[in-house]
Amino acid sequence: MKRFLKQFHHLALAFVAATSLMAVQASANGDIGDHVNDLQGHLKQYHQEVSWFIDNLDEIVVRYDTKGATAAQSDKLMENWEVVDFHSAIETQYVPVYASIWQGIFGVKQAIDSEQPIVKVREQQALLEQSLWQALGAVKLAAQYQKKGLLAKVKTTETDNLTQPETIDEIKHRLDRVVAKYAERLPESAVSIVHDTYQHLFEGIEGALIAQDADLVEDLEKDFNVTLPKALASKSSVDDVRNVVEDMQGKLDNARILLVQAEKKQKDVF
Amino acid sequence: MQRRTFLQSLLTSAAIIGTPMWASRALAAESTATIVGGVSVENLPELSGDLTLYLGRGEGGLYEKVLQAISDRNPKLNLKIRRGPTAALANSIVAEAKAGVRRADIFWAVDSGAIGLVTDAELAQVLPSDLQEQLKSGFQYPNWAPVTGRIRTLPYNPQRVKAEQIPSDIMALADSDLSIAWAPAYASFQSFITAMRLLEGEQATAHWLRAVNKRAKSYAGELGVVMAVERGEVDVGLANHYYSLRLKSGKPNANIALAFTDNDAGCLINSSGVLALKDSATATNFIRYLLSREVQSYLATEAYEIPLVKGIAPPPGLADISNIRPPKIDLTKLADLRPTLKLMRDVGVL
Repeated sequence: MKRFLKQFHHLALAFVAATSLMAVQASANGDIGDHVNDLQGHLKQYHQEVSWFIDNLDEIVVRYDTKGATAAQSDKLMENWEVVDFHSAIETQYVPVYASIWQGIFGVKQAIDSEQPIVKVREQQALLEQSLWQALGAVKLAAQYQKKGLLAKVKTTETDNLTQPETIDEIKHRLDRVVAKYAERLPESAVSIVHDTYQHLFEGIEGALIAQDADLVEDLEKDFNVTLPKALASKSSVDDVRNVVEDMQGKLDNARILLVQAEKKQKDVF
Repeated sequence: MQRRTFLQSLLTSAAIIGTPMWASRALAAESTATIVGGVSVENLPELSGDLTLYLGRGEGGLYEKVLQAISDRNPKLNLKIRRGPTAALANSIVAEAKAGVRRADIFWAVDSGAIGLVTDAELAQVLPSDLQEQLKSGFQYPNWAPVTGRIRTLPYNPQRVKAEQIPSDIMALADSDLSIAWAPAYASFQSFITAMRLLEGEQATAHWLRAVNKRAKSYAGELGVVMAVERGEVDVGLANHYYSLRLKSGKPNANIALAFTDNDAGCLINSSGVLALKDSATATNFIRYLLSREVQSYLATEAYEIPLVKGIAPPPGLADISNIRPPKIDLTKLADLRPTLKLMRDVGVL
């Protein structure tokens, strides 16, 4: 419950950030098209897809309860999630919940495949359903912002020309994607995002940050190069990886404050 | 002797850590920068027309501020910028040329290795001689212009070691009894080893790596190296200059001082660079803006980069590099890291 409340807090903050002019970069599994740039027009479809997915989830759990693990066909969970358009809608709008959905899917699948008692499977099912409804709520909120023109269009191209504080926002977003890819059981993709983010984004701001708080930069360097890659490589739980990322995001929030202050002191070129 | 004389002047400020000496040096450097050297933008022609710049990612935000300032000053200039990792853009330029396309007018790269990829493909235009002559001796190239530099240094902790204990020969560091911090996975370190390979040969470099590896503590990045020195975990480190200067600017009483070797890879100056891909007055004049007194001074004071135009003062806290003897090496030859990485793996450093 605590995590659930924390995620809603993050959700509110994420949409505040989304009202900025920064373009949202996406690298969703699904196609980036009308369904993510006209959320309002697709809300009914998304609601139907979530309901359909949850009904199918329940059927899988019931089959497990009555006929056993093989008959349950737990692989259907991933197949069902891959085919719905809602998948890329939540992936492009609020990555932390997207990660929770993958975590939930694998939570149910693992419980079934390892033939856990039905009560344990139902617990995982409840967590997954909670994440799905939370995701639908996030997309509805995003649709309202998008309708008011406050949400940047989702692009498949890379974000350009960021100020230093905007770079921090982009780094935090990419760290959310690290958790999502890890939850999706794609650890190599997660590690690749970490390296790319460090090399192409963090290294660009660390110079300015060293003069403000060298210990903080050193701490984040260690997180990027040791703590997070180690967590991804050592088969940690998704929650453990998320904890590392949230710790880093807290440090990045402090870094953002310092960079905003430093930018005000910078002199003009000419 | 020259090195020792220079060190003495640098260390005078370093030894009196946190005193106004450091600040006065900074102020002196800044005021000098506005008086001598370089061509002022006031004397440069107005830029106009279309210009496409490929910009390798660099000192986050500050290169962008320079470009914005140039655009603001030249309202008739339609500057289009493509941004990306430096090596990727260099490869794009070469690939586009092979396909018979030249989209970029200018390429501004954060490291000279990427410049080498483009000049080796004979895609860069020859620059006017007056433009080359603005640059310091050793940094004049016919078809590209170094913009700003960073120098390899030996940051040391003056609470643990004296300046006299730091060898002036980088190869001698391997035989010293100093404890060392390094970051072998770091790109700048690998460029330094590439320079050592080119200057000293494969065998001597392999010997040096093996010997240092026995006493070195590894860090993820070179800031980590400098911080380890400052905390007194080790005697000396291997790092680019700006980490120490930035640390000093934020923490004037930091236990860190800089030493430099003499005429070897240990004091290599690598640089960012710019080249023109089309024979156009706008492209050439755009390069003049990057070499202007104002841009050079801005990058020195805000990004702690070393100006490579004659007569512009170095960043606050760093003595004039005319007192240092960096090795004579064609910086574009540092492009190919593969033999260096193989060597580092072979000796067990990576």
